[in-house]
Amino acid sequence: MIHQFHTSFAGLPVFDLTDTTAAGELPAADAVAWRIRLDDYVDEFDPWRELFGTFTERVDTTRVRALLLGNWGNTYDVESTEPLALLTGAAERFPALHAVFVAEYLQEETEISWINHGDLTPLFTAFPKLTEVVVRGGIGLRFDPLKSTVLRDLRFESGGLPARVVQALGASELPALETLQLWLGVDEYGGDSTVEDLAPLLSGERLPALRDLGLQNSPQADQIAAAVAAAPVVARLERLSLAMGSLSDEGAEALLSGQPLTHLAGLDLHHHYLSDAMMERIKAALPGVQVNVDDQRDLEDDWRYVEVSE
Amino acid sequence: MRLTVVGTPGDRRVALFAAACRRAGLAEPALVPWRDVLLGRPFTVDGTLRVESPGEDAEVNALLRGPGDPARVGGGARWYRTFRAGLERLRPYPSVSDIDDIAVMFDKRAAHARLLAAGVPVPPALGPVAGYARLRARMAERGWHRVFVKPAHGSSASGVIALRTAQGGAVRAQTSAAREGDGWYNALRVRTLDTEPEIASLVDALAPDGLHVERWFAKAGLAQEGVRDGVGRVFDLRVVVVAGEPTHAVVRTAAVPMTNLHLGGRRGDLAAVRAAIPWAEAMDVCARAASCFPGSTMVGVDLLVGVGMRRFAVAEVNAFGDLLPGLAGLPGTSAEGGDTYDAQVAAVLRAPAGA
Ligand SMILES: Nc1ncnc2c1ncn2[C@@H]1O[C@H](COP(=O)(O)OP(=O)(O)OP(=O)(O)O)[C@@H](O)[C@H]1O
Repeated sequence: MIHQFHTSFAGLPVFDLTDTTAAGELPAADAVAWRIRLDDYVDEFDPWRELFGTFTERVDTTRVRALLLGNWGNTYDVESTEPLALLTGAAERFPALHAVFVAEYLQEETEISWINHGDLTPLFTAFPKLTEVVVRGGIGLRFDPLKSTVLRDLRFESGGLPARVVQALGASELPALETLQLWLGVDEYGGDSTVEDLAPLLSGERLPALRDLGLQNSPQADQIAAAVAAAPVVARLERLSLAMGSLSDEGAEALLSGQPLTHLAGLDLHHHYLSDAMMERIKAALPGVQVNVDDQRDLEDDWRYVEVSE
Repeated sequence: MRLTVVGTPGDRRVALFAAACRRAGLAEPALVPWRDVLLGRPFTVDGTLRVESPGEDAEVNALLRGPGDPARVGGGARWYRTFRAGLERLRPYPSVSDIDDIAVMFDKRAAHARLLAAGVPVPPALGPVAGYARLRARMAERGWHRVFVKPAHGSSASGVIALRTAQGGAVRAQTSAAREGDGWYNALRVRTLDTEPEIASLVDALAPDGLHVERWFAKAGLAQEGVRDGVGRVFDLRVVVVAGEPTHAVVRTAAVPMTNLHLGGRRGDLAAVRAAIPWAEAMDVCARAASCFPGSTMVGVDLLVGVGMRRFAVAEVNAFGDLLPGLAGLPGTSAEGGDTYDAQVAAVLRAPAGA
């Protein structure tokens, strides 16, 4: 569960710009990542619009490098396209913007599976210089295949990432992309992608710079592990994560009997259904690799949970 | 001075308070069993009275709630009626625990109203709801989507429901109440209910005993050791206020919206919380909450901290909120070094009730 705001984003400390702090002393525009959020529940979008207005008045937006869009009201009535439209509408005032976090809501504020998105394409077209983008929530999310020579870091956190998003990423041209993390989630909350949808990503053809791949939070972790075991992209990775999902001995067996993984710096498998013996085997087989097998789940449980769904 | 404790023989609380008396050089307090009080049996009070929790004793529990499985959820109204009748029998005696204060603290609606009237920050409340349909109608009227539904006379998060609704009819609840056969029982785990009939049936089962409904106050999270930035656990604070002074505090953290220790909550890092929030302001809120119960030497305040670490709300004031064995007092307070019981004994010695 997500219960904590990021303290840093895109290499900058986060400044929490709320209806309260906006009136006080503010840091230099380029010294922080700005989280713009309301500090209370509201249904409608107007208060956030006002806060964003205050932000653009009080801060030299031409030097703003990173933004996090937080609590903008009731997420099931107000889609992320509303705050994004304000931002893209003012794109020429943000020439230095290179990192955006869409929807940094916490579990105490809204359900990740109730954050409604729409078409994200305008964000990428209005800000072609983006190097880092994080999106939380998957409902309604869509975008056209991306094309960027500078985008380095992409993360989609969701309880259910639509197949069309995975497919759009597969069709994207991102020669500079180093990190790609997908929380795939469960069907029930819109995570309808299949292992086949991951094929273009696993081939790595259009991702020559990829170093860090996360195919996380999936109830199909075993099948993903089997696909990863033979995936061309793995040879160039430094970090691989199949964490947060339902990985069991079956998937781990496939991983271990596939291509060598000893070149990895890190293998993150936390939140899993591996037996003790298998955890030991993985560590023994990958001596130079930092293996994270924390958070072993209840193997007796008939139901296999992912870490983040609802 | 002489003290008489109303409690349950063999209960930890009684032993812990007696130990603190001994450390202060006082005589062992006399004990009046709650059982005798509730059964209407004669008892004698020597000196000043201290009212302690009836504890978890099965027989006392059956006297209060009526016969039945002690793990069942509900029965709060009958519990409260019997408990108040017992409290009335204690009224004639000089006491460090005010009878009316205790009665208010065990009615979440009345306690909330008292705090609100005194300007203490509390989550807004919905007013009486007689069942699930009424709850949803009232929520819609107020435009609320996330609420905490609490049995008016509950404790230990029994029957508490963290409820949220979305447009299109989606509704989700987290609670430690679990259905077994045709009843609801306290489980040791918080689970998610996401079918409306199930949620409605639980709310309707609890409603006859009285419900207090509050807006869900989005609680802040704390980093969790060994876990990546941005995940964390929610937390709240239990602050013990003795004679007006916040003397002891613990952080309670959880991965679910309820932080109670028996439901998987854990103690959190107090130093980290002190560094992250305006601590003096937080303690002031607790002191103000306690001052709404001026006849009580001690209360335990459950303090919620908002997601931005700047806003506060009092979730509850507990009349028997001092069971924190071995916890040392906050540095710089008069209770530094002692436990919650030492602090209370010291307070009684400073200002004996009825003196
Ligand atoms: N309005 C609220 N918004 C968010 N969280 C809340 C709210 N009210 C209570 N909580 C949380 O729910 C849990 C139980 O709350 P509360 O203290 O009111 O109930 P209780 O049953 O009397 O439990 P306790 O044993 O802690 O006294 C706590 O973890 C608290 O943080």
